[in-house]
Amino acid sequence: MSTITTAQFKKGMFIEFKDEPHLITDMQFVNPGKGSAFVRTKLKSLKSGKVQEFTFKSGESAQELPIATREMQYLYKEGDDYVFMDNFSFEQCTISAAMLGDFIKYLKPNDAYQVLMFDEDAVGIRFPKKVWLKVTEADEGAKGNTVSGATKTVVLETGAVVTVPLFIKTGDTVGIDPENGAYLERG
Amino acid sequence: MKTWQKLHGNPRLWERYFVRENVIQKIRNFFLREQFHEIETPLLIAHPPAESYLDIFETTLLDRNRKSTKAYLSTSPEVLLKKLMVAGLGNCYALTKSFRNMETQSDLHNPEFTILEWYRIGANYMDIMKDCEDLLRAIAGKNVITYQGKRISLSKPWERLTVADAFYTWAGIHFDEFFKDATRIAKKKGYNTNNATWEQLYNQIFLNEVEPRLGRGKPTILYEFPAAMGALARKKESDPRFAERFEFYIEGLELGDCYSELTDWKEQQERFERELRELRRLGKTVYEYDYDFIDALKVGLPTCSGIAIGVDRLVMLFADVTRIQDTLLFPLDEMFA
Repeated sequence: MSTITTAQFKKGMFIEFKDEPHLITDMQFVNPGKGSAFVRTKLKSLKSGKVQEFTFKSGESAQELPIATREMQYLYKEGDDYVFMDNFSFEQCTISAAMLGDFIKYLKPNDAYQVLMFDEDAVGIRFPKKVWLKVTEADEGAKGNTVSGATKTVVLETGAVVTVPLFIKTGDTVGIDPENGAYLERG
Repeated sequence: MKTWQKLHGNPRLWERYFVRENVIQKIRNFFLREQFHEIETPLLIAHPPAESYLDIFETTLLDRNRKSTKAYLSTSPEVLLKKLMVAGLGNCYALTKSFRNMETQSDLHNPEFTILEWYRIGANYMDIMKDCEDLLRAIAGKNVITYQGKRISLSKPWERLTVADAFYTWAGIHFDEFFKDATRIAKKKGYNTNNATWEQLYNQIFLNEVEPRLGRGKPTILYEFPAAMGALARKKESDPRFAERFEFYIEGLELGDCYSELTDWKEQQERFERELRELRRLGKTVYEYDYDFIDALKVGLPTCSGIAIGVDRLVMLFADVTRIQDTLLFPLDEMFA
């Protein structure tokens, strides 16, 4: 545990809030005036997955929590839980949809991911900067009087729908930024 | 992806950007009917008003010999409109850009933004509350609008809540006690009170417990601010612990900030001096304040009340978006990515 201030807060960081571990899922600056500055955060409880908002005074201190990462392979989905396995110990663990957030759209069975561990519990995934996924459905040409633009939407092998340049075809592999679903490059 | 690229790929997106011109047209029609003059004020100015909580954009003015002078981008048309009211302009408004530095990383701020400020001679802030009710209904063209799936009634009268009542209703705080004992009250609620000023605790409780409850289902006019939070407003005659300032909220969005204006040049000058000292202490850009404005106040600003409204936020409301960037064709964070 190390003491930090709001100046060091980042999305994706884990802090102790109301004596429980939370993930900072969003942060904004707020200036109500008269010299005060505040940082409004969205905090997801690692215990319940519930998100609450809290506004800190700028400069307020908080405890940053040590999070370890463990490389694990994604196996399959079981209801709302996603099952991962450590390839060396063969230990399995589950992470709930609530803790994975948007990343469930990009999980590919048998791929390896950096699983975040807090106190022996798997609490989420460190989003890689890029995920490589195959395009399974892409419109090839204009339908009727569709206005031609520089982009179109396609479906990826995991079911995710993303916007890509026109030249991407079914069967192509594309690199996507899992933070926002943005197309990065063709594989 | 840049906004123009998104628009190229999805022409239906244009609709939400066209809301802006509609809102602006309705605002101008409203003031035409009210017979207010519209004034264009310069955005490049020599002496910004001293406000320690704002960060100013600084630039350089060059003459023909490349001799340089510091110049600044205006944070609000207020001071210039007031000089014209001293000169006898009467009721007036400005619909223009203002610039406030260090306001990035927020869904509700763009460092360059569109501001609407209007002033009524002989009015106090209660009169401006009525203007807000009328203006929003004129823009909407109807009494009920929807924002983010919530139904909002714009029918008059809007909810009017004093800060003291709001703190009692939503935070369970007796404001008389809060004036004297803020630290103890905040600590009891679980806030970190180390090195915290009264203003910081006031704002923290306000932001966490009160603001999210304002303007739900119908707009809320939050008025009678503690004097410390309304230094440029006239103090309430019957209770000088409070100032004649209001803000109005719709679905938690703060849309406007109004004062019964301060007309006393001595108080205004003292305030500027205090703000300059604070700017120095905070290590921010320090500049000479507008002495010409003090001179104008000495000549005499008529009793008046004025309000500043964030037009981009109004557009957010009518375009039904939650980020100011979604109302801007060229948001700052795209230009400076």
